[in-house]
Amino acid sequence: MDNTDNRTDLPEGRAGQTREAADTATAQAASGKQAKTGGMTRRTLCLGIGGAAVMLGLGGLKLANPQAIIRPPGGQDEDRLISACIRCEKCYEICPRDVIRPAHIEDGILNMRTPTFDFSENYCDWCTEENGGTPLCVSACPTRALELPAGATKENVIIGRAVINTDWCLAYKLIGCRFCYDTCPYEAIKLDDENRPVVLDNKCNGCGACESVCVSLQNGSISEGATSRAITIKPLDQVER
Amino acid sequence: MKRNSKTLRTITALVIVAIVFVGFLTNLGIGTISAPGIWDISILCPLGALGTMLASKMMVPRAVVSLVIMVALIIVFARAFCGWMCPVPLVQKLRGVFTKPEKQAKAEKAKAAKQADDKATEAAANIVPLTEDEKAALATGCEKDSKGLSGCAGCAKKRGEAVDARHFVLGGALLSTFIFGFPVFCLVCPIGLTFATILLLVNLFAQGDVTWSLIVVPAILIAEVLLFKKWCHKLCPLSAFMSLIAKLNRTFKPTIDNTKCLETAQGKKCGACGRACDEGIDPRHPELSEAAWSECTKCRSCMDACPAHAISMPLIAKKGEPVSLKGNDE
Repeated sequence: MDNTDNRTDLPEGRAGQTREAADTATAQAASGKQAKTGGMTRRTLCLGIGGAAVMLGLGGLKLANPQAIIRPPGGQDEDRLISACIRCEKCYEICPRDVIRPAHIEDGILNMRTPTFDFSENYCDWCTEENGGTPLCVSACPTRALELPAGATKENVIIGRAVINTDWCLAYKLIGCRFCYDTCPYEAIKLDDENRPVVLDNKCNGCGACESVCVSLQNGSISEGATSRAITIKPLDQVER
Repeated sequence: MKRNSKTLRTITALVIVAIVFVGFLTNLGIGTISAPGIWDISILCPLGALGTMLASKMMVPRAVVSLVIMVALIIVFARAFCGWMCPVPLVQKLRGVFTKPEKQAKAEKAKAAKQADDKATEAAANIVPLTEDEKAALATGCEKDSKGLSGCAGCAKKRGEAVDARHFVLGGALLSTFIFGFPVFCLVCPIGLTFATILLLVNLFAQGDVTWSLIVVPAILIAEVLLFKKWCHKLCPLSAFMSLIAKLNRTFKPTIDNTKCLETAQGKKCGACGRACDEGIDPRHPELSEAAWSECTKCRSCMDACPAHAISMPLIAKKGEPVSLKGNDE
């Protein structure tokens, strides 16, 4: 049986029937129970407007005071990073030292799932060993949220700055610990007269090497009440007055 | 051959989750669905690509290339992503865990289906040929007729033909992205949140990373896709974006072989394909469809449901073959 759509092929009578049926259907739809606005039910319209409003409301989160957190190389321009990052976790995955982690909600709602650093196991040396000094996170970022300015080197891009909590630092209890001093690749830590480490602000770029070797937390009985290691990398905003 | 595309779809989605999981554990940069790829090669989610450029007001070459490729893929495969790759339907399966025990529900369903089948067999035993009216209805398309009058009224409210709630969400998200300067939807995208949840769990067990995100991220995900049962149909802006582009889709359309179809070949009543479609498309009676062809996720449910195995999904339908499928695609 050929039931192709070509109505003009149909005998006169049947075509008439079809038209009638269609007209009836139109009338029924027009007097339908659902109030319609521009071919859309009111319910759909409400849902749509509600959804769009939520999206605009979420956008307003940008207006809330953003919390500064440390960023991987190329993410120092905070506005750029927030505007371009789609939270795809690519930088987290590619990082050969596994020091990049997605930020948590504690770091701010807007920062959630954007890249930040976790120096508990290792530190960032711009993939010198792994990729000849070009950070893999920067080359893997598909949206250029992480992008290095021209002439950027690991010495002149400041990720953050090491800050020593002297209450928790073992050396400040005159125990003679100097792990951070020994490991710093930039000679940005000096020892004072009592062999206590002091960060040289103009040399520290926040690579995290000191934080990754700090043993203060392993000595909980000595540094009681500590919630983090004694030397940590802080974003510049929090360090500079 | 067993025809069970539903299982196959679940498996493909699970395989994708598994691949992403491997990506989390290795340093290959496989990425999530937001930017799948390997090493520094990746293709961006179309909404992510649009969002990042709107927010940063920059042309990002990778985003432009991704967008072009994605649009091409959507033109060829329509919303196949929704049917075969998206992890959200997997998350939505969790709903079954909290509701009525599935076995019981399934048994009830099977019982009802059996009764319906029995009735159908009964009815089939004494085949009633279609009346003239029914034949005419079968022949009615929804396209404008020769005199330029619009077709039946049913078409006017088809999902996917005009803008619906999803498009408002899409518009709102893009507008908000442009005004406030960050990819707003990415913050709450259930696809991103699904993988974020997995990653949070990985880090919880691998590194003891305890955070409030472990509660907040799954909570947003659940609020979106479990409380809004119709997330995909009514709210998802990605689905809206795809359905807009998929209007251009002409390939892999379910095509009915009229020599096999019970309705055309034997004049029986069937409609199984229309009932099987989760999107509400009726391949046999497009005029009865609740959704336009652009909503098709190529899920093959109609093919599986067809008792006569009359539906196929050819790359390009041969001329004259798609018959009544015509007219519903505008």
